[in-house]
Amino acid sequence: MKNIKLNLILLLCLALSFTSCESDLEVKPSGITQQTVEQFYAQPDGYKKGLAGVYGNLSLTGTGGAESSNLGGIDAGTSQYSRVLWYMQSLSADEAVWSYENDPGVREIQKNIWTASNPIVRGMFSRAMFQVALVNEYLRQTSPDVLSGRGVTDATLLADIKNFRAESRAIRALAYYHLMDLYGKAAFVTENDPVGTTGPQYNRQQLFDYIESELIAILPDLKAPKTNEKGRLDQGFANMVLAKIYLNAEVYINANRFQDCMNACQAVMAGGYTLNTNYLNNFKADNDTSNEMIFSIESSGVTTQNYGATTIIINGQVGSLEANGAQFGVGGFGGALRLRRELVQKFNGTQFNNDSRKNIISGTRSIDIPNVSDRDTGYLLAKYSNISSGNIAGISTTFVETDYPLFRLADTYLMYAEAQMRRDNAGADGTSLGYLNQLRERANNGTTIANVASADLNYIIDERARELHWEGHRRQDLIRFGRYSGNAYNWQWKGNAVNGVPFSSNLNVFPLPQAALQSNPNLTQNTGY
Amino acid sequence: MKTIYNKLLILMLFLPFGIFAQSVLDGVVTDSKTRQTLPGVNVVIQGSSTGTSTDLDGKFRLADLKKGDKIDFSFIGFQTQTITYNDQKSVAVVLEEETNLLQEVVVQIGYGNVKKKDLTGSVAVLGEKDFNKGAVVTVENLLSGKIAGVSINTSGAPGSGSEIRIRGGSSLGASNDPLIVLDGLPLSPIGVNGATSILSSINPNDIASFTILKDASATAIYGSRASNGVIIITTKKGSSKLAVDYNFQYGSGKAYNKIDVFSANDYRSLINSRGNAGQIAKLGTANTDWQDAIYRRTDFVDNNISIRGKAFGVLPARLSFGNTYQEGLRLTNELTRNTFSLNLTPSLFKDHLKLSLAANYSTQKNRFADGVEGAAIRFDPTQPIYDANSPYDGFFEYHTVNQFGQAQYKNPSIANPVAQLLQTYDTGSNNRFFGNFEIDYKFHFLPELRAVINLGYDRNSGTRNTNRPSTSRAGYNNNLFSYGTRFNAENVAVNKLLDAYLVYKKEIGKVDFDATAGYSYQKFENSGLEGYDAAVITNASIAQRPFIADPVVLLGYFARANFNVSDKYLLTLSYRRDGTSRFGSKNRFGNFPAAAFAWKLKEDFFKNSTLISDLKLRIGYGLTGQQEIGNTLFYLPLYNIGNPNSQYTFGNTTLPVGQPAPYNKNLKWEETATYNAGLDFGIASNKVTGSIDVYYKKSTDLFQRNAPFADGSNFTNEGPQNIGSLSIKGIELGVDFAIFKTDKFQWDVNVNASKYERRIDKIAAGLPIFDGASGAGTGGTSQILAEGYTPNSFYVYKQLFNVAGKPIEGAYADLNGDGIINGSDRYIHYNGDPDLQLGFTSNIKCYNFDLTFNLRASIGNRLLNTYKSTGSYYSQLQNGELQNTSPNVLNTNFGIQTGESVISDIFIENASFLRMDYATLGYTFPKWLEGKASLRLFAGVQNPFIITNYSGLDPELSGGIDQTIYPRQRQILFGANVKF
Repeated sequence: MKNIKLNLILLLCLALSFTSCESDLEVKPSGITQQTVEQFYAQPDGYKKGLAGVYGNLSLTGTGGAESSNLGGIDAGTSQYSRVLWYMQSLSADEAVWSYENDPGVREIQKNIWTASNPIVRGMFSRAMFQVALVNEYLRQTSPDVLSGRGVTDATLLADIKNFRAESRAIRALAYYHLMDLYGKAAFVTENDPVGTTGPQYNRQQLFDYIESELIAILPDLKAPKTNEKGRLDQGFANMVLAKIYLNAEVYINANRFQDCMNACQAVMAGGYTLNTNYLNNFKADNDTSNEMIFSIESSGVTTQNYGATTIIINGQVGSLEANGAQFGVGGFGGALRLRRELVQKFNGTQFNNDSRKNIISGTRSIDIPNVSDRDTGYLLAKYSNISSGNIAGISTTFVETDYPLFRLADTYLMYAEAQMRRDNAGADGTSLGYLNQLRERANNGTTIANVASADLNYIIDERARELHWEGHRRQDLIRFGRYSGNAYNWQWKGNAVNGVPFSSNLNVFPLPQAALQSNPNLTQNTGY
Repeated sequence: MKTIYNKLLILMLFLPFGIFAQSVLDGVVTDSKTRQTLPGVNVVIQGSSTGTSTDLDGKFRLADLKKGDKIDFSFIGFQTQTITYNDQKSVAVVLEEETNLLQEVVVQIGYGNVKKKDLTGSVAVLGEKDFNKGAVVTVENLLSGKIAGVSINTSGAPGSGSEIRIRGGSSLGASNDPLIVLDGLPLSPIGVNGATSILSSINPNDIASFTILKDASATAIYGSRASNGVIIITTKKGSSKLAVDYNFQYGSGKAYNKIDVFSANDYRSLINSRGNAGQIAKLGTANTDWQDAIYRRTDFVDNNISIRGKAFGVLPARLSFGNTYQEGLRLTNELTRNTFSLNLTPSLFKDHLKLSLAANYSTQKNRFADGVEGAAIRFDPTQPIYDANSPYDGFFEYHTVNQFGQAQYKNPSIANPVAQLLQTYDTGSNNRFFGNFEIDYKFHFLPELRAVINLGYDRNSGTRNTNRPSTSRAGYNNNLFSYGTRFNAENVAVNKLLDAYLVYKKEIGKVDFDATAGYSYQKFENSGLEGYDAAVITNASIAQRPFIADPVVLLGYFARANFNVSDKYLLTLSYRRDGTSRFGSKNRFGNFPAAAFAWKLKEDFFKNSTLISDLKLRIGYGLTGQQEIGNTLFYLPLYNIGNPNSQYTFGNTTLPVGQPAPYNKNLKWEETATYNAGLDFGIASNKVTGSIDVYYKKSTDLFQRNAPFADGSNFTNEGPQNIGSLSIKGIELGVDFAIFKTDKFQWDVNVNASKYERRIDKIAAGLPIFDGASGAGTGGTSQILAEGYTPNSFYVYKQLFNVAGKPIEGAYADLNGDGIINGSDRYIHYNGDPDLQLGFTSNIKCYNFDLTFNLRASIGNRLLNTYKSTGSYYSQLQNGELQNTSPNVLNTNFGIQTGESVISDIFIENASFLRMDYATLGYTFPKWLEGKASLRLFAGVQNPFIITNYSGLDPELSGGIDQTIYPRQRQILFGANVKF
């Protein structure tokens, strides 16, 4: 008995001497690649770095370089915000084809045969919803209660944070605008919902009301146009989003909001933006300095590397036969992108002979693309470049310096004119005509040779193609003009046929991703999917 | 383990005593059965250190004997006999063979050992004599093909790591690697720069034995990391006798198979007949076999020397030194390794205190070689390797000269693979110190009780430098300027272990009882400098950056009790409670119980049977855990900090972004329950021995790496969650035949077979997960994880054929019948798991000759041949410049590669194979140097043949997808083995 007692005591001593080590199981991150929430916001510029995180999601796919991703279910580089947006708005319409159809999901997008399990459909939804989650978290971490709890009393910082919060909310509104436009619905979560909340489904009307009221509410807290730091948004951004939802309000909520659209456009135009005399300067390595730019999504060869829209467009412009990477300051992807026939044809006519927006390389190529995988067919575009207006090439031949032009003044002009015509159910009035001809003059080296005396909506949709092609507006525009689904307008490979066939109007919104439906029971699938 | 060492002593030769004293005893020892004399028998006077052993003729002489001295005659596999010295001049001793030689083998089972005959779980043991022969550079290859249910897949690169799977792998999103325990120290899975693999630092010549714990009743004592089995590696220790062992081995290897491409002449005629004028104009005049050009004949030199004995007459010690040099097939690839190992096993206070120190130091220098196979098989065979006018150091490259007068390679075009190898200086060096110190104290006042403390330490540091000149195309090129490459990365991984436990052993009546209880603490750390390309530093923000990985801490409390009733009924109960730093406090600890029962049926039912010499039934159940997921702190809300390439610029300030990281505070242990039933048998005096096991494993709360999170609810759309379940069922058979066992001729054969099936029973939301690269496209996949199917089943399009039986390009079955061919028409078609795996080893000894070989077969495993799936198209003949492609294009006649064609089911091939890993023939000179030593010379072939219908290079691949691999070489081997 004595022995057994002794054993027990020994065992007990042994056990006791080690239980203290259980605290070793509480491991803290090293602080280099990950920090605790407290560590992060205790840094002097923590709140600004958090804001950089909110903006950064528009450009970066993760925090560990271009190959990293916050998201799954889609290739890391492809999941970049403006890239999935561009795939859905431009590739799914009449502007371009992507040659490598073995990249998952691309073929279905550009041939209008997508399903709810398409990785690009999921990537866009998840990227935009991640943007919402990022903003919600930032708003929670910068709420007055939390700030006072952390002892943040510096008046300058508090004033800055007020701006930061308003800008974050504007970006959240942008994300919900994209979800409303592309999917017609989304899960609705705000900073008041704790992490883990799946959120109810908001339909287009609910999203529209939210975006409108949110943007109007934050306008006073946003900086006046062109008064903010470069890279950060201002009232011009908010008004552009408002103008976009108003212009498309008939599609979204069956409401006539064209006057509101014109007002929002005018608010933008009053902000001091001017057309860049050189059209192509809006698409070069230093396009962020163009005075026409209302908001652009950053990209940099070193500090902001991403396989985003501008990286893949510029590399994609390089032809399979031409090997013309040096022209754009990139290595190129061997002929990844080509123009669809119908976009090329928008420049038919002698009035476009000297149009600076016509940057088409035809060479010995056929205008037709009978087989998408054959990279030697179809015309090429030479619109974007990784070389600056001062002819300095970007530092990297893969990752471009060129920002993605999300909103620029030329778009505002066209939107204003279109809203006016739709409001009045008439042609362009004098003001509108003035804006439209400003674009023509800029495109023709300041001359009036291509100016028009009148313009109707048909003019607008084609002029938008000429001015804004490959800028991610096309699908939305065609839907507004009733030319996306159905047989009003066909283009090569529309509906998966070489010369285009109509597809059902239910494809005017994308399906909700399978994974989103299965992980959030509040969501329902769109009609027809 | 001592017994295994003793076996080695059989081969030891010792000079006969030459002392002519009065009290001298001469004798001879013979085997009772064969009546042959027995060399190497230990002859020791009880209570003294005086002793000898029998010579080659079984004779011995002992001097200075006193009347009444008791002399022990002991020999492995025989019962020890004692005689009393009664002034007799000579004696003839006859030793009786033990009834079952294997039964006395002592098996390490984690925190202790048991006799093999008393095992209750599914445990396999491999001693030195069972190891694979031939050119073995990494330790795991000592046991490939030897044990049912254990598969080891190693690439052709020297010292490369292996994928080791025990019973298939029970996880989906977490690691499927078994736990590897070296002398009590569980090894870290963290890789280190400059080394080829974790196990490559260990010298195979230092290994005494492997124990493989397969079922959970055995592994649960290692609770947290045991779901995929445990491999316990024990290194050689010192001995009572001085022995010097020297091994030398030389091998010369070459590639034995090539990927099928068009020869230069065939290629020329193909282009001339099919190509357009532009393509024909691009044809060159050379005849280059690019695969021949990137490979070479290789040398392999391996030297090992070890000294064992008692240092200063008291301290059992072993010291070894090994040097290995192996060249890889790729022109520049080589590995140089030096290993030093010291083992001390002193015993103090009349064996009450046993100490054991194992200290190993290993250095490695590597020159790595890029995987240029893809370039070699696609490079135009009509182009030359060298071009005297080339600005690329005289290597042919497709290039132009740009406006700055600099050479600019054409894009797209393939880089010259020979140039890439020869212009790349990718070197690594690695220093590793590892070992353990064990204190085993038997209490003076209570000898039934022992306390054991085991301290383990493993420090692995490495550096890797990659340099290319600016004249290399493979170097960093930017904006038309070539910068070359200067890349550096280094890190240090440290693994510390403390085990402390008590062992209590007692015999109470008919019950033998032993109990073990203890505590284990282990910490893994890793830090270093992240690699960078100095050529890219044109911006101050890109500098070499330090990193410190989150440490991983594991601690556990464990207990085990063994009951042996009447040497007939055996019961093992074990329990482990494990904590990990990977989970939050609520879920941090997991409990892992196990129980096993064995019944020696022989005693009850076949006591008098001469046919059945041994029979034991085992049944076991155990629960094990899994926490080895990539994320170390996924349960915590944290912020990710952008690296220098992930910043955003406001004004003139570029800031690293800060984004909340996704987290799952409910993360918890994945649990695997294993049910195992087995039968150990011996037939005809154990001439045939073996085991058969059936098992069922069910993993629940499965880590799904990419289970969906509701969008917007977390900071990602998917991540690690404990959802779903996976089950494996299998059967294994391993049999050893002692076909002949005579003095002059012995033939042993080992045969093993295993079959298992893995099924996903449930995954998150029932949502299939796409996985497995298709080899084409950005992120293209060819496999699926779906409920009701084997993980990573192929998910492909069903090819349609014309009446002539030829595949129709672009035509696939519309399986869902909606008139559109899209992702919804893919179907599940086979998987990469084998239906049956077989192993066979034969050892023949005839007089002084020995012949050993093995065979391994895998049946029913399928592979996606990506070379064919991406190359069987005429469009592949040009991408910018001309390129070679698979001659299979003549069969398919396909024009263009598409997203569907690369995953057409015609490219899934049956990759069953039969392979011989090695065959060696040796001759032993037992009385070399006038009997002072023995010498064995041997010659052999590594990888002599493989039989398969698979059309790719090598069917032995894990994962089911054949992308270009580093080919395995075929080597001719010579060697010598000297023992003093």
